[in-house]
Amino acid sequence: MRKLHWTPYLLLLPSMIYLTLFFAYPMVASLQLAFRKDVQYLKLREEPESDAAETGTLAMQTAVAVLDRMRLEETLPNGRTRPIYWFRVQAEDTEGTTVEGWVNQENIFIESRTQSDTARIVTGEAAKEWTFDFVKRMVNDFRFGKALRTTILLIVLIIPLQFILAIVMGLVLQSGIRFTNFFLYIYAIPLGVSDLASGILWYSIFTQRGFLNSWLVELGLRERPFIFIQSGHENWMILAIVLAEVWRATSIVMVIVVAGLQGIPKDYIEAGQVFGANLWQRIRFIILPRLMPSLQVALILRTILAFQVFAVVVAITGGDVMTVLANETYRWYDPARFNNSNVAAAYAGFIMLLSLGISFFYLRTVRAQEERESQQ
Amino acid sequence: MTTETYPTTSLSLAEQEQIARRAKFQYNLRRASIYALAIAIAIWILLPIWLVAVMAFSTPADVRGFPKQIVPVPLSTDTMEFFLNQDGILRAARNSVVVAITTLVLSTIIAVPAGYAIARYVFPGRDAIRLGILSVRAFPIVVLAVPLAVTFIELDMYDKVYSLALMHTALTLPTTILVVASVFAGVPYELEEAARIFGCTPTQAFIRVVMPLALPGIAAAAILTFVLSWNEVFAAILLTISNRTLPAQILYTLDKSGDPFKFAGAFFMLLPAMIFIFFIRRYLFSMWGINK
Repeated sequence: MRKLHWTPYLLLLPSMIYLTLFFAYPMVASLQLAFRKDVQYLKLREEPESDAAETGTLAMQTAVAVLDRMRLEETLPNGRTRPIYWFRVQAEDTEGTTVEGWVNQENIFIESRTQSDTARIVTGEAAKEWTFDFVKRMVNDFRFGKALRTTILLIVLIIPLQFILAIVMGLVLQSGIRFTNFFLYIYAIPLGVSDLASGILWYSIFTQRGFLNSWLVELGLRERPFIFIQSGHENWMILAIVLAEVWRATSIVMVIVVAGLQGIPKDYIEAGQVFGANLWQRIRFIILPRLMPSLQVALILRTILAFQVFAVVVAITGGDVMTVLANETYRWYDPARFNNSNVAAAYAGFIMLLSLGISFFYLRTVRAQEERESQQ
Repeated sequence: MTTETYPTTSLSLAEQEQIARRAKFQYNLRRASIYALAIAIAIWILLPIWLVAVMAFSTPADVRGFPKQIVPVPLSTDTMEFFLNQDGILRAARNSVVVAITTLVLSTIIAVPAGYAIARYVFPGRDAIRLGILSVRAFPIVVLAVPLAVTFIELDMYDKVYSLALMHTALTLPTTILVVASVFAGVPYELEEAARIFGCTPTQAFIRVVMPLALPGIAAAAILTFVLSWNEVFAAILLTISNRTLPAQILYTLDKSGDPFKFAGAFFMLLPAMIFIFFIRRYLFSMWGINK
C-alpha cells in the first residue's frame, strides 16, 4: 500500500514498549517472587582470611565443631587494638558431605571464643535460590482447596448460563422488533457496571433484611427472613454469586454474539425457513455453526475473566465464609493480613497457569472438531 | 416469458381465510412472545439497578428497615449525603477521577498511532501483533498486580495515584488499540488519498481529513477507557493504601460499613458508567475487535 515500511512499526513502537514493560516484566517478576527465596550461605575459607580460597559452604543454623582457632589483632582508628578470632570448623553441608575450613567470628554464634568447641552458623552471604516453599504453603493452606473448588464451580455454572442468555438476547435484538436500540442500550448497561457494584446490587437482594426476604415475608411464604448468606448455606451463596455474575458479565458475550449474528447473511436463515426448519433447527443448524468463531473468542475471554472473580464474591459473602482464588491472592498480599507477596505471587501464577491451560484446551478442542468436520 | 399457471387450490374461500387468520394469529403470537421476552430481559437488567437506586434515595432508617420498600417514599438524599460525608469517600472519588483521566489520556495517546498502523498498513508481522494485542487483553489482572506492587514498592512508586494510572493504562491499552483500529478502518481510505492528491502531506491528510472523521469513535474509545479504569478494583486495592480509589475504598471498608453506605456507594459507582455507556452504545460492536 505504501512505500515507507518502517512507518507502521514506528507507530506501534510506543504501544509495544509499554505492553512489554507492563506485561512481560511483571510475568518474570511474578515467577521470581513465587519460586525464588532469599537465603544466606556461609563460605568456608582455606586460610583465616576473608579472601582466601573456598573449601565449602554451610547453610544457616548449621551446628559446627570447632577444630582450631586463631587470634588476630585489628587496629582501630584510635590506635588501640582488639582481638578478632577465626575458627577452623567442621560440619556437614546441605548435601551431606563433611566440609571444613576457616570462618570469621562474626558469622557464627559461639559461647566462648577461647573455650567452646561447638558453634552455630548465623550469618553469611545473601543469595537467591529456587524453591517450592511458597507453592507448598499455598497448596497446604486449608483455604486453597475451597478457593479452587468454588472458582471452578462458579465457572461451570456461570459460563453456560451466560452463553444461553447472551444468545437469547442476541436473537431477540436481531428479530426486527421495534425499539431495538432501546433494548440494546438496556442490555448493554451492565458493561459499565463494576464487579463490586454488581456484587452490592445482588447483596441488596440476598442479604438477611434484603429484597428477596422482604418479598417472601410480604407474600406470606415465610414468617421470618431466611439467612441466605452464612456459613453452611453454600448453595445459596453460590446462587447469589452466579446471578450477580450472569447479570453483570453476560452483556459482553451479548455484544460479541450480536456482532457475530450481524455477520450471518439473512438469506441463510430465510432459506432455512423456506425449507421448513423450525426455530430450534434454524438455531442449531444455521445460526450456531456460523456463530462459532465469535463464541470461541467470547468463551476464552469469559473463562479467563471468571478465574479472576473477586469483588462480587467479597461484596456478597464478605470473602470469609466463601472464598475464591483471586480473594486468596489478595488476602496473602494484604499488608494488614498475611503480608506475604511470595505466596500471593504463587496464587497469581496458579491463576495464570489455569488460564493458559483452559485457553489451550479450548483451542485444541476447537481444532480437533474442525478436523473431524473437514474429514466428513 | 410464458404465463405461469399456479396450482389451483381445492380449498373454499372460507377455509382459505381461516388458514390466513390462523397464520396471522400465530405470527402475532410469535411477535408478542418476542416482545414479552425482550421486556422480561430488560426487567432482569433494570430491576437490581432500580432497587439499589431506591435504597440510595430513601432515608437511612428506611434502608435499614424491613420489609424493604420498592419505591423511594419518602424521597430523601440523606443516605447519599451520609455516604459522601464518610471519611475518605470524596478523596477516593477524586483519586478515581484523576486515575481514570490520566489513564484515558495516556492510553489514547499511545493507542491512536498503534490503531492507525493496524488499520491502514499492511506489513510483515501485522497479524502476529494483532493476535498479541488480543491475547494480552485477556491477560489476568491478578497476575500483573502482585509483582507490579512489589516492583512499585522497590521503586518508591507504591501507593501513588500515577502508578495506578500506569497500571490501568496497561490494562486498557489493548482494548483501546483495537477499538481505535476499527474506528480508523471505518474511515474510507479514498478520502485520505484524495486529500493527498490535492497536495496534503500524509500528516496534513491525517490531521485535516482522517482525524475529524475518526474523532467521535476515538472519543468513544476514550470513554470506554475511563469506565474500565473507574470500575477496576483488584489492582487498585493492591497498589494503593492511603490513596485509594473509590471502588478500592468501598471494598476495603465493606465489612465495617452498614447497608446505607454500601447501597449509596454502589449507586454512586454505577451512575457515571451508565451515562457513559449511553454515549458509546453505537461503538459497542467494534469494541471487541471481531467485526474487523
